[in-house]
Amino acid sequence: MKSLDPRVNRLPVIGVPGQILPKATLDQFGTYEVFVQPKDGKPFQHEGIVHAPDLEMGFVLAKEAFTRRFTCVSLYVTDTRNVYVSPMTDGTVSAYDFVHDVEPQSGEKTSYEIYHLLKRGKQHQHMGTVQAVTPQEAMLEAKKVFKTDKVAFNIWAVRTSDIRFTTPEEKELWLTLPEKKFRDAADYKGGDKLKEFLERQN
Amino acid sequence: MNETALKELLYKVADDLLILGHRNSEWTGFGPLLEEDIAFSSMAQDKIGQSHALYTILNSLGESDPDTIAFTRNANQFHNCMLVELPNGEYDFSLIRHFLYDTAEAIRFEMLSTSSFQPIADLSKKIRAELRYHTLHANTWVKQLGTATEESISKLQQALDYTMPFALGMFEESPYEKELIEGGIFGGEKALKEKWVKKVEEIISQTRLRLLDWKVVQPVMGGRTGKHSEYLQPLLDEMSEVFRIDPSAEW
Repeated sequence: MKSLDPRVNRLPVIGVPGQILPKATLDQFGTYEVFVQPKDGKPFQHEGIVHAPDLEMGFVLAKEAFTRRFTCVSLYVTDTRNVYVSPMTDGTVSAYDFVHDVEPQSGEKTSYEIYHLLKRGKQHQHMGTVQAVTPQEAMLEAKKVFKTDKVAFNIWAVRTSDIRFTTPEEKELWLTLPEKKFRDAADYKGGDKLKEFLERQN
Repeated sequence: MNETALKELLYKVADDLLILGHRNSEWTGFGPLLEEDIAFSSMAQDKIGQSHALYTILNSLGESDPDTIAFTRNANQFHNCMLVELPNGEYDFSLIRHFLYDTAEAIRFEMLSTSSFQPIADLSKKIRAELRYHTLHANTWVKQLGTATEESISKLQQALDYTMPFALGMFEESPYEKELIEGGIFGGEKALKEKWVKKVEEIISQTRLRLLDWKVVQPVMGGRTGKHSEYLQPLLDEMSEVFRIDPSAEW
């Protein structure tokens, strides 16, 4: 019988001596940005990225990559190339101060989602939606509506139609999550067990 | 209520879930990409959780406790279909098995959600969300890879042709079909298979894959009555290794 261990059949093939080949130029999937809503009423927050062959697979893989442990009521993804980013500031001024006026654009306005980075090292948070022709104009619109005393280190704009949202029927995807405490390392109470073990040793 | 018929049903569904859950968990750490590794492992964990819930129901009907049921039986005492015990092979096979099995599983529990046996109806409603994700995952991959490149299409096609006879073995009828249907416990394997065929056709028709003529595919039967391939016993030995060394082990 052949080995049942999948690793055995997946070992790299032995090469031909003397043969030197270029590594494939593009042998990885592209990236998709993942936004998660931890609770109803809380804003969506950027959680990270997933690699995926397309937007739909990005959505599917994001669900387990980012919401297999902590509470989640909804998530959405967009192709990294659809995220427009303002200049970053050092926090003494708002990123909106670096968003310069542009001539009013002709064309049809569409909806854009706006995100602020409110603390260095934290994640971008959803602020709201504006209507604009271009991403630049979207940030200018956002400046009127969302700029407050709380400094935004950085601003993102994503066209709403470029986002794969959770559908209302899919909102049930996270219903059994609260019962999966076993996915959380803390649930194993490793520290307590170690203490108990050490005490037994003495 | 015909308890023998009910137990037979619960055992086969639970055993399918436990064995496939274990098989799929063998991909943990070896998945084709990190994100898929995580997703596939999570779903494997869901399946083992679902089998545990079913063994708990069996326990309430007078059977042994879930760990004893899961870890102390030999291969010929398992009621799973052969499909779920086959070794993982390459990812194309694991993915096609996941697609064919989970499509059936989701429909089976949808049918069981109106069962006259309340505990199984309740469980079906509870795990519906998990099954929605499992089928979304399977369908999306099959549609993606089934339309992507010549290589991905031909790999999936070969896996599909190889797997289909085993997949049809999922619907091996029990000696109690009539009792289950008349008692309102479960609508039966025939009805399940009909719905499954429709769903599989619906997804495959959105790809460049082809289905063989259903009439010429010979189902691989026997799993439901304890006849298994040479692959089940080694799986059971590995799965129950810790339990056999120390039945009281906890972590």
